[in-house]
Amino acid sequence: MRKLLLIGLLVGIFTVLPSPALAAAPLDAKVDAEPAQVSTVLGGRFKITTPITNTGARPSGEILAHLNVASIEGSVYVDPEDWSSNRSQQLSLQPGESRKLAWEIQAVNAGHFAAYVVVVPYGSNVVGNEGLVISPLVNIDVASRSTLSAGGALPVVITVPLLLGLAAAGTFFRARRRGSGR
Amino acid sequence: MTLQVAPPAVGMSEDVRAGAERQSGWLVVAEQECRDLWTSGRGLVLLFLFSVLLSAVTYLTSTNQALNFLEQRESVNLVLQFAVAVGVLATLVVSADGISGERERGTLETLLVTPVPRRSIIADKLIAALSLWFATFLVSIPYVWVLARGVGILGQALALGLCVGTLVALGLGCIGLLISAVCNSNKTSIAASIFLLLILFAPTQLPSGLPQGWFFEVLLRANPVASGLAYISSMLVEGHSWTQDLSFLITPLLTAIIAGGALILAGPRLVRLTRGVNAG
Amino acid sequence: MTITVEAMQLTKQYGGRSAIEDVSFTASQGEIVGLLGPNGAGKTTTIRLLTTVLEPTSGEFSIAGHRSTAAPEIRRSIGVLPESSGYPSHQTGGEYLRYHGRLYGLSRSQARSASAELLASVGLAERSRSSISTYSRGMRQRLGIARALINDPVVVFLDEPTLGLDPAGQAQVLNIIRSIAKARDATVVLSTHVLPEVEEVCSKVVILNHGRVVASGSVGEVIKTALIEQSAQLRVPLDLVERARNVLAGFPDLTIDQAAGQPDVLILAVDRPGTGVAPGEVMNEVLAAITAAGIPVLRFELEGARLSDAFLKMTSEAVA
Repeated sequence: MRKLLLIGLLVGIFTVLPSPALAAAPLDAKVDAEPAQVSTVLGGRFKITTPITNTGARPSGEILAHLNVASIEGSVYVDPEDWSSNRSQQLSLQPGESRKLAWEIQAVNAGHFAAYVVVVPYGSNVVGNEGLVISPLVNIDVASRSTLSAGGALPVVITVPLLLGLAAAGTFFRARRRGSGR
Repeated sequence: MTLQVAPPAVGMSEDVRAGAERQSGWLVVAEQECRDLWTSGRGLVLLFLFSVLLSAVTYLTSTNQALNFLEQRESVNLVLQFAVAVGVLATLVVSADGISGERERGTLETLLVTPVPRRSIIADKLIAALSLWFATFLVSIPYVWVLARGVGILGQALALGLCVGTLVALGLGCIGLLISAVCNSNKTSIAASIFLLLILFAPTQLPSGLPQGWFFEVLLRANPVASGLAYISSMLVEGHSWTQDLSFLITPLLTAIIAGGALILAGPRLVRLTRGVNAG
Repeated sequence: MTITVEAMQLTKQYGGRSAIEDVSFTASQGEIVGLLGPNGAGKTTTIRLLTTVLEPTSGEFSIAGHRSTAAPEIRRSIGVLPESSGYPSHQTGGEYLRYHGRLYGLSRSQARSASAELLASVGLAERSRSSISTYSRGMRQRLGIARALINDPVVVFLDEPTLGLDPAGQAQVLNIIRSIAKARDATVVLSTHVLPEVEEVCSKVVILNHGRVVASGSVGEVIKTALIEQSAQLRVPLDLVERARNVLAGFPDLTIDQAAGQPDVLILAVDRPGTGVAPGEVMNEVLAAITAAGIPVLRFELEGARLSDAFLKMTSEAVA
């Protein structure tokens, strides 16, 4: 009987109390994003900054900040890798410490988009969204522009081969004249 | 008709001897080889065909209404890849003809009996071969300008193309001359060089969707051509910084240094009437 | 006379095979030296060694006072027309010569004037702007000789310069060779297996066979060294044959035979050659005696007094 009680107690302890290996402690952090609105043209480069503050009483441990971009209007396919080549930054914060992360972005599609940064504990199993901290959205308006036109390319497309062809023909003609002994 | 050779004009003997006392022949071979390449029309024909190819690519790109920003950057990358491919091929073929071709045409011996240093002969032939790469790059400039001006990568694209392309062309030009020196037959020399280039280009043509494990990575990085082109792509298309993928340039740099070093060290023993280092 | 070419026991081996072995000879300023030998004798190898295209396995040489270790200095002092020399077909004769002038360090203007002068000397002035691909074989050889002279060399090496030329072309080239030695006081080393050329222009010959020197010296010395039996064919009118025999009986060193099938031809041979009796002198006296006796000489052909006879004897002896 005592053995059964002991076993039951142990099972209860391990069931009720979350194991540190099974569940991450919630991340006490605050993430902002600046600016809130960006307007640019296709191909334009801009920077957003995300101050991250550890609002908890404990050190954050290793955390990962990750940038995402999504199309919020229309059916534009967004490959975040095309927008920014460095979308993950790893850091750790002491209690109360704040650090500003900078993100270089280039608008490679036209339309309306939103960028945001997600901060997750790094190296732990995250269950649900307890460990996630998400920044406010940065609204990005990208105006399209015509960067290339057939008419603009035509002078080069025609002139370069024409000049080279004439030069090649000229040298062949000259070589033939020399070859004939004249 | 009785032909007789008159004594040289007054003072000519002294001039000739004095001229011969000076360091003779530096860059003379390069000048003549370049003249042979360009005034004979062979170089210009190559450039003409190359420009037709680029014109087709540029025109198709510019008429594409659905072209997006990245595809335009990829078009710039494609033009540079063509320029490097064609320029390096031309450089390799000309350098592969450098010594074995002279042997076959019977003109090497008359060069060997002049006081031009053997290393100078090799260096000049390399310069002449590289002129094809530089000319190819020059021809590609207006096309890169047209394609790149809307996406703001003109300067970067040209600088990348020039630096990486020159490094790759230099390395392969040196290899071509080495192959030429050890082949008695010009056909063998040129065929071997072209085969080598095809092997080096092969990894760049694999579909990008294929799983790329460690073996592919090794294949890519050990290949001066593929790694050079990968570096260009990483900067132009993927927007990486110039230091981010600098490791891609290790192989092209090492190829240029090792092949160039071998030419400098073994040059005098390579430029011989018959093939090989120990021949003659 | 200044010695401009000195070869001392030159040897060139390829693996276990000797291309030439212990070749030694000298040549002086203004001399034309004929390097003779059958095909494969080592003539071209010898020239390539002396012109620093090949390196000797052993032995030494000097050209224009420069030792064999001073290859750049030697190259500045020599002009070479290699055997089967190729020419860039797309260049003109003028361009070709100017290019080679620049290779020897001439300035552009010097190269231009030297080229024009040499092309005129070799009879190519009117074709200087034509592509070499339009030149005949003889014109190319003359162009090659002009190229060999562009640096006003002290020694000129010509390897088979008349190869493939018609008689007129050969004569032109030989004239040029003579004038090179005379007008420019240059030493000419002429490699050939055409013996009449050598007899015509060379003051000295070196005969090679199987890579070794089998004879060297003036043409007369080489013929004497060969110890060839001299003979002659004498044709006189048929009714005077006996009278001719009686005249010839007065020469104790002479043997007289009848030519087979030709009753009017006598075969004369000088006994004991090389014993102090100069066969040529005997034959001269024979001719003088026959003509003094009033006997018309219809034909007199000397054999064994030519370089070709010496050459054949020496090269076949070496084989034996």
